[in-house]
Amino acid sequence: MSELFVELFSEEIPAKLQINARNELKKNIKNFLIDNQIKFNENFNVYSTPNRLVLHIDKIPNEIKINSEEIRGPNVNAPEKALEGFIRSNNTTLEKIFKKSTEKGEFYFFKKESRTIKVYDLLEKNLSEILTKITWNKSMKWANYDLYWGRPLKSILAIFNKKPLNFVFNHINSSNKTFTDKSLEEGLKIFNDFNSYIKFFKQKGVLIDQDLRKKIIQNKINEIINKKNLKIEQNERLVDEIVNIVEKPAVIICNFDKKFLNVPSEILITTMQSHQKYLPTFDKKNNLTNNFFVVSDIKDTKGFVKLGNERVIEARLSDAEFFWEKNKTQNLVKQVDKLKNINYFKGLGSYFDKIQRMRKLSSLISDDFLISKDKIEIASSICKVDLMSDLVGEFPELQGIVGGHFAKFQGFDKEVCLAVSEQYLPNGMESKIPKKMYSVALSLSDKLDSLVGFFGINLKPTSSKDPYAIRRMAISLVRLIVENETKIKLKDLIVYTCSAYRDQGYDFDTKKIQNELSDFIIERLKNYLKEKKIRQDIIESSTFLLGLDDLLKAYKKSLCLNKNIKKEIGFETIAVYKRSSNILNAEEKISIETLGFADPGLFKNDYEKKLYKKINDIRKYFLSIGKDENYEESLKILSSIKNEVNDFFDNVIVNDEDIIIKKNRLELLNMLCKTFDNYFNFSKIEA
Amino acid sequence: MVYKTKKKNLSFQDTIFNLQKYWSKKGCVILQPYDLEVGAGTFHPATTLRSLGPKPWKTAYVQPSRRPTDGRYGDNPNRLQHYYQFQVLIKPSPKEIKKMYLNSLSSIGINYEEHDIRFVEDDWESPTLGAAGLGWEVWCDGMEVSQFTYFQQMAGVECKPVSVEITYGLERLCMFIQNKKSVFDLIWNDEGITYKDVFHKSEKEFSAYNFEYANTDNLFKIFEMLEEETKLLVEKKISLPAYDQCLKCSHVFNILDARGVISVAQRAEYIARIRELTKSIGKVWIESQS
Repeated sequence: MSELFVELFSEEIPAKLQINARNELKKNIKNFLIDNQIKFNENFNVYSTPNRLVLHIDKIPNEIKINSEEIRGPNVNAPEKALEGFIRSNNTTLEKIFKKSTEKGEFYFFKKESRTIKVYDLLEKNLSEILTKITWNKSMKWANYDLYWGRPLKSILAIFNKKPLNFVFNHINSSNKTFTDKSLEEGLKIFNDFNSYIKFFKQKGVLIDQDLRKKIIQNKINEIINKKNLKIEQNERLVDEIVNIVEKPAVIICNFDKKFLNVPSEILITTMQSHQKYLPTFDKKNNLTNNFFVVSDIKDTKGFVKLGNERVIEARLSDAEFFWEKNKTQNLVKQVDKLKNINYFKGLGSYFDKIQRMRKLSSLISDDFLISKDKIEIASSICKVDLMSDLVGEFPELQGIVGGHFAKFQGFDKEVCLAVSEQYLPNGMESKIPKKMYSVALSLSDKLDSLVGFFGINLKPTSSKDPYAIRRMAISLVRLIVENETKIKLKDLIVYTCSAYRDQGYDFDTKKIQNELSDFIIERLKNYLKEKKIRQDIIESSTFLLGLDDLLKAYKKSLCLNKNIKKEIGFETIAVYKRSSNILNAEEKISIETLGFADPGLFKNDYEKKLYKKINDIRKYFLSIGKDENYEESLKILSSIKNEVNDFFDNVIVNDEDIIIKKNRLELLNMLCKTFDNYFNFSKIEA
Repeated sequence: MVYKTKKKNLSFQDTIFNLQKYWSKKGCVILQPYDLEVGAGTFHPATTLRSLGPKPWKTAYVQPSRRPTDGRYGDNPNRLQHYYQFQVLIKPSPKEIKKMYLNSLSSIGINYEEHDIRFVEDDWESPTLGAAGLGWEVWCDGMEVSQFTYFQQMAGVECKPVSVEITYGLERLCMFIQNKKSVFDLIWNDEGITYKDVFHKSEKEFSAYNFEYANTDNLFKIFEMLEEETKLLVEKKISLPAYDQCLKCSHVFNILDARGVISVAQRAEYIARIRELTKSIGKVWIESQS
């Protein structure tokens, strides 16, 4: 039993790429070993530091035995050349070739004797290929080489059974050496096994194992926060990034001047996390403190690192503070007029024009939401002012949030502030979604105005290009409606938005926009449902008859059917529908025009009458439920017609000799299907 | 190599001298700044155009860089609308470039073994140049002191061979070396002249120009004229003069942007127009290189 140990040394590979490369390498080597029937320790691991990607697998046998096998060659009638080639490629002679008949004819065969293969040879021959199979999410070329890698690859160390594996990977020759100094790429040293390698680096303070680094960082942080009575926010993504941008982590607690805590915490946190990769700390009441963690890649023996980082954050925060102090007192209302100077989009006017439209729109929405018209109009008027502030210039990701803080500082109503703060939410499929109705109304009107505008000037996204993120806007709109269960008339709102544009002199084709946008939004709803793991046929059915005003209904009905499709109420509903519609579909080809109702006077037996009565009962149910439909109940009611339908089919022949009777029976089935349409169109459901 | 002693912190001008000497010893052609307003050292034709095509090339130079939107009337200790970059470009990228870079830091008094030097992912893209590269920003104790980029594409053309570009933000670097909190307190030379003495007035006046007085109607017109001129020169296949006009376009756009008369969405359109110009110039340049 032996170990395979490979190290790929490169310039600093970014955290995300490293994680990806580890997974790729692990997968590829595993597949290779399995394909070649080589046993190995399945609990093996791939490690990485920014400069080193390391594979270590032990318990690999030195040899594998391959049983003898008969290899089929060319057909006996094939030209002689084919046979010669076969002999050559199998490294054998004519004497060892024999003929044998198979189902497909007579062929030449060669019997390969059982043999043992050295795993060392196999690895040496195939490692290059295995490395080639690593796919990078983002890769680059350098110098004159053709190789694509995450960052320039400098050397490959490869060992099996303590012996170097020698192969060529693009322009690089593998060896048993690596650079021990990652900075200067110097200090070549030979390693013949993984243990001595790990030990050597551990002595230098370098931890090859990322999990170990993570544990050490977390332990150290916990130790300090426990002592200081602090908390940190769980931020896996940031911690994982930090773990993968250091090789010898040293946790340093730093602080900044407390005076900066007067600046809104989002600004401080964004500065620390996204700009500097620091971990901010909070007190037990979840208030941000002036302590933060830096994870350094070097022991700070002279205190330079702490000093330097504190100076950096000080500079960044004083920048932010300067802007905050300057911007917060600039009267939001007085600045609204200045939005006239800022173009929203070429062909869609200024931001001033936009907020006029948004004001009208949100005011209309406020009627449906039963919220104060005055408040939502104020929120609409001031919501874009922060775009002119230095702070948003500095922290574009905080647009809205910063505006909310300005509003709060200037004494605006709480709900208005929150609405301004949350106006851009949600932003796509994953993001947080506002719950307060003022926020929802403002966000809805922002998105509707944008969607109508972009469709109005014909800047719809194409299948491959969506430069203005219009899809994301529409998905956000869908989420706002569906997840908040808002009952709005989207169709009317689109028409109204068009008219708001027309009032400003835009020549928009309302009908066209309405149709195109309708289709577009319904497509987004389908995507959304797909994300929610709803069956494709259910998605298709739910959006087939239900229109733009029924997004919420379509969503809920899909969810409900998806949940119940394997249960009796779902299963039976579909079965009944299918049975009836199949007959109708067959007859439709002969083209019989339906009136939409059956004539009870033409019924010949009780089965017809019972079915007719049941259909009418169900219709009454759907007429009575109004807005508060319980969809599971509806499915239950639909499926309850099962007995009447089965009795009908078991005892009645639709295809009566009398064409009038036959037509009446088809009418009855048609009534049944139409009744089911009250839920939605089941014709696209696959039984 | 003999550099000025480390006993005293290096002055701003000595920092430049040392970097020039260092990279000169590495075989770089030491150029002088390009004589047009540009947003970064990358825009110097010695980088943009020279990074295209098969011919090897090594250069280093200081480039004054103008970013009108970053002006703060000289009130902000970290922000300037005019500042200096020290730029290195080597094609093809040498194997030992990291070592060369770290030693260049030593040449200006930063011992990389005493500081937390980090190569932090920063993939670079210049929409106006139609350029993209992979690399890092280099942090020294949390402070970004350089950009380190392997060009993959320039002017819409794939780079072959690949150049490496190193850009030092000279003011930041010097603030680090001299331990200053404000850029205006930087010591410029051994006579005690400060950055403030040299540049404060111009920061103030140019901020006023960029944010308040630049005549936007005229600038919009000038942009059109320059764009037209660039296209004409591209037709004549003289890439360098064409590129000059394009650089001017780019600067006019930057001032318009600072004046706040270009919306987010409109920006995309202007940037696309400049990119088209750069691409057409790149094509003409490449043809002249093979």
